[in-house]
Amino acid sequence: MNDTSSTGANQVIEVTVGSAGDVSVRTVGFVGPSCRDASRFIEQALGERAAETLTGEFYQSQSCGAAQARQEF
Amino acid sequence: MSHVVTIRTKVRDPAALAAACRRLGLAEPTQGTAQLFSGEASGLLVQLPGWNYPLVVDAAAGEVKFDNYGGRWGSQSELDRLLQAYAVEKAKIEARRAGHGVTEQAQADGSIKLTIQVGQGAQGAAIGGAS
Repeated sequence: MNDTSSTGANQVIEVTVGSAGDVSVRTVGFVGPSCRDASRFIEQALGERAAETLTGEFYQSQSCGAAQARQEF
Repeated sequence: MSHVVTIRTKVRDPAALAAACRRLGLAEPTQGTAQLFSGEASGLLVQLPGWNYPLVVDAAAGEVKFDNYGGRWGSQSELDRLLQAYAVEKAKIEARRAGHGVTEQAQADGSIKLTIQVGQGAQGAAIGGAS
């Protein structure tokens, strides 16, 4: 699950739990496919993915393509 | 940052549910059958403050059954607090299990932010409680 091969430094997963238990997961410092793999364990443990927003950096990292993300919705 | 995922929380881990109850100062869940207004239900029973009927958690299905009659038999905010505590405790359990460090911070808007430092399991510590 933990692919740290891309950067190895200061990789962070931010989990924000709202006051009603709603959860938002954000990855910081990942490059390439690890950006999605890194947070998957927490997403699967907490429940069902309701939505995903891909940021500009996601598209800039060529190996982390948008097509893969869209297949899930 | 590369992506943001929104998740609907499912209560599937009895250990995290127990940790959530401890966090909120509630009695720990007990396995059993409860008589709700709408009928009997079996699972992990949690008694929320001021609620007429217990919550019944079916951990296998990730479902929470309850009868609070639109808030008249129990405040929705108490259920929300439990769901928040569950999600926090579950995320912390999973992060530590994966060998990551976790820090926790209560936010001004009532949310709780966990910062998971990948691969830094020994360095996790709570900064600022949320309960």
